[in-house]
Amino acid sequence: MHKSSSLSSITFNLLVILAILVCFIPLIPALLGIFSSAFAYLPALGLTQFSLLGFKQLLQWPGLIDSILLTLLITFASTFLAAILSFAIIQSMWQSKSWKWIESLLAPILALPHVTFAIGFVFLFSPSGLLSRFMAMLSNDSVNSGWSLIHDQYGLGLIAVLTLKEIPFILLMSLALLKQLNLKQTFYSAYSLGYSTRETWQKLIFPQWLVKIRFSLFAVAAYSLAVVDIALIIGPTKPYPLAVLVWQWFNHADINHYTTASAGALVLMLLAVISLAIVKLFEWVVIVKWRTWLSSGRYSFALPGTFSVAICYLLSLLIIPILLLWSVAFRWPFPALLPIEWTFNYWLDELSYVTEYINNSVFIALISASIALLFAIIIHEFNMRRSRAGNSIYIPELIIAIPMLAPQISLLFGLQITSLLMPQTNYLLWVVWAHILFTFPYIYLALNGAYKSYDKRLDNVALSLGIQPLKVWWKIKRPQLMPALLLAWAVGMSVSLAQYLPTLMLSAGRIATVTTEAVALASGQQRRLSAIYALLQTLLPFIFFLFAVTLSRYYTSRNNQQITSRTS
Amino acid sequence: MSLKISHLTVYENNNSINDQESPLISNFSITVNKGDILTLMGPSGSGKSTLLSVIAGFINPDFSYTGEIYLAEKPLNGIKPENRKIGILFQDDLLFPHLSIIENLMVALPNAIKGEQRRETALKALQHVNLQQLADNSPLQVSGGQKARVGVLRLLLAEPNAVLLDEPFSKLDSSLRSEFREWVYSVLKERELPTILVTHDSEDSPSCATTLHWPWGQKELTNA
Repeated sequence: MHKSSSLSSITFNLLVILAILVCFIPLIPALLGIFSSAFAYLPALGLTQFSLLGFKQLLQWPGLIDSILLTLLITFASTFLAAILSFAIIQSMWQSKSWKWIESLLAPILALPHVTFAIGFVFLFSPSGLLSRFMAMLSNDSVNSGWSLIHDQYGLGLIAVLTLKEIPFILLMSLALLKQLNLKQTFYSAYSLGYSTRETWQKLIFPQWLVKIRFSLFAVAAYSLAVVDIALIIGPTKPYPLAVLVWQWFNHADINHYTTASAGALVLMLLAVISLAIVKLFEWVVIVKWRTWLSSGRYSFALPGTFSVAICYLLSLLIIPILLLWSVAFRWPFPALLPIEWTFNYWLDELSYVTEYINNSVFIALISASIALLFAIIIHEFNMRRSRAGNSIYIPELIIAIPMLAPQISLLFGLQITSLLMPQTNYLLWVVWAHILFTFPYIYLALNGAYKSYDKRLDNVALSLGIQPLKVWWKIKRPQLMPALLLAWAVGMSVSLAQYLPTLMLSAGRIATVTTEAVALASGQQRRLSAIYALLQTLLPFIFFLFAVTLSRYYTSRNNQQITSRTS
Repeated sequence: MSLKISHLTVYENNNSINDQESPLISNFSITVNKGDILTLMGPSGSGKSTLLSVIAGFINPDFSYTGEIYLAEKPLNGIKPENRKIGILFQDDLLFPHLSIIENLMVALPNAIKGEQRRETALKALQHVNLQQLADNSPLQVSGGQKARVGVLRLLLAEPNAVLLDEPFSKLDSSLRSEFREWVYSVLKERELPTILVTHDSEDSPSCATTLHWPWGQKELTNA
């Protein structure tokens, strides 16, 4: 008995070490790789002297400053808009008749991949898109206006896509934290002090919400700053955002651009640090520095909550029908509102190619999400044991979140530099590993709630009955965590399925997935194919979400059934 | 200024079988004059807190009511809770955790008081109860008794025309309790505010007050 318990504790410790080796240790050479290559130290390319060559090339790049300013504009505009509009939606819709509706549609809207959303957005707002067709019909004019949000100079289209796609995310994160805020009591005491509902939201709840939503805003800002895939589809081109420039230099046929790309990756990393600091600074100014407004009395202003939720949900729900329409359109001339000839041939033709991409996507996602889930459980258990033992050495969430917050292209750059040092033959292995690295933090954070609300005393009771720790986990804890585990796994699947840069960079372009094809086709002229891949890209994570939800319902009902059948 | 309840009947909505036949409170009428404290005594579940919610105007899908409520001869039915000028004190102090003690008071001041004056007015109120040294502390840093005092100050600074007390003493230490209670009654009397106190503890009832024992609704019905 003693022997088996020590064996299981050795296994546990080995798994902890393995998780740390796969999910955290690589961050060190990745960060080192960014620095060393930025200073032109690239042994793999024969550059063995530190120099400022990369930065010189970077500074000589015409339009670098414009690109950086544009990148910052996109980052802050989309983060600010997403935050304010999300709050506006909560303020005007919370507990209203439509709130249940808003809440239940949140999951399917969130499950829509960014790339799919961007492609659908292009189909709606491009010069020959559905909106132009409507306008042409209304004005009886068959010439399109040329007005466009796609690749526009100021990145307005990209800002719109990022804002609309992040609003449901912030809403979801807000749901959990509003429950901690004791809203009913806050409203009762605020009413008795003469505060209206809107004044209570803005004067008393907003300051508490803003502090608690900080991490989500970090994630939104970091994502907006470094996004490449949807920036390629809809972002500005004169100049490109910095992340896209780095990606282009990286792919450039001329190897000299590699040092420019390295320096750019480091600059992007620094911009990420600065951006998060600015988000925090903004919060500090509003909540700490200029806090007299908090207690200045009963004032508030109107926010476009109903309008925002209508636009956000309407567009999100329109995406799938639009893509379906395009995927079966044979002839669809401007300004007709519907195709005039239909065909399924594009679907049939693509089927033979698509199987391979789907296989790749699903294979990589299954392995990486499952391993990342195992590691997330291990690290949660590890951190919990540590905190219970009063031990201060544990893995802080900020380190876990690095792959979410650091610009993906910069981290991948470092990882790629590292991978060049090793005799690499198996691209698939590198890609799977990169997917584990990037899905792990999402799965870990998705499990946070379930782990925090789990009653640890149950473990203690079971242990004191003489049940082995591993058995306690499997028999007592796992069944209760099961719905959360399944959902976290599905989140991991969807994150892995949506990865663009990690797949391309670490396979040196040799492994194609549905997502890489969707992005590649979106920048081309083939709307029908683009629609098909965008739809497939949505369908895959949807299937796994459906699977997870069904299974977790089954688990919940089975648990309940067993209990009732035993008690009756 | 008085608070008048006239023929108030409160139904529970979640009780689908017999909510019409046995309302939580039935045909309850009473008048509380200025400076008077009415004590309603009853066990939990007797509808004490629900009655206060109805008077304060808190909308709750769990109950509905018929009857009228008047404050200073004006009907309150249909008036939003924030416009009723009714202060309410709960078991928990419900100070806003993100604001300092003095800011919790400043929040309550009428909008007419502006700028630096808000802080000065709030500080004066704190000095009255000798808590000025806590002005910039967070509510999380001060004791339960101190928070309870700040809660009362905050309520008064909002200049209510009537006050509802929902077992505000039940969570306090017995050593603090009677002293705090007497202080609350004295400031309410001083302001001449009509007050309704609900409690399940007969010790809470002030000596000079009208006390109704549960089931007070039905009793009024038989008296009428």
